[in-house]
Amino acid sequence: MYNRIKELRARQDLSQFELAQKVGVRRETIVFLEKGKYNPSLRLAHDIAKFFGLPIEEVFLFDDAADKEPGEPAA
Amino acid sequence: MKKAIIIFMVSTLVLAGMAAWALKGHVEGNTGEIVMAGVVFILVAFAAALGASRLRSRRRGEPAEDELSKRVMARASSLAYYVSIYLWLFIMYISDKTTLPAHSIVGTGIAGMAVVFLLCWLGVKFFGMKNV
Repeated sequence: MYNRIKELRARQDLSQFELAQKVGVRRETIVFLEKGKYNPSLRLAHDIAKFFGLPIEEVFLFDDAADKEPGEPAA
Repeated sequence: MKKAIIIFMVSTLVLAGMAAWALKGHVEGNTGEIVMAGVVFILVAFAAALGASRLRSRRRGEPAEDELSKRVMARASSLAYYVSIYLWLFIMYISDKTTLPAHSIVGTGIAGMAVVFLLCWLGVKFFGMKNV
């Protein structure tokens, strides 16, 4: 899974700290999300998407080939 | 805030315990004691850094804990538990081959577990945790 948080944040000219405050997490969490080191909970993903006024699937995108385990059926 | 205070209190107690132990004249100054003291200082420094980070977050108006920090802690704890089983197995193997007193072996094991937790925490922080 990858996300567009950095791009969307830049569009709104927001700092990581400001976004973190808006969605109620620490700045470090936003850093981890932008670096792709952490997949958020559904709640946090929802809050971030809601803040940007977009559906979750437009903020968090799935790279099917990279995410699936070998032998996992197609969605 | 409460957790940060507890972290600082426990760190102070550990240092005070070490000082009391040294002042009572139990120190022989051998390599084992120096290594153990070094390990304790590293662990206390780690705890103090963790407590300071929580206080800084609070001062900036951030939550002291959020879902990432909780999950990092949970992941590091489970990893450390898993690794510690092998650590104790190794210590049991070594204890048969040495003449160290039981309290030294147990002390080494406990300090080892704390070091394993520190390394796991640093590893999880460095590499992140995507699908766990």
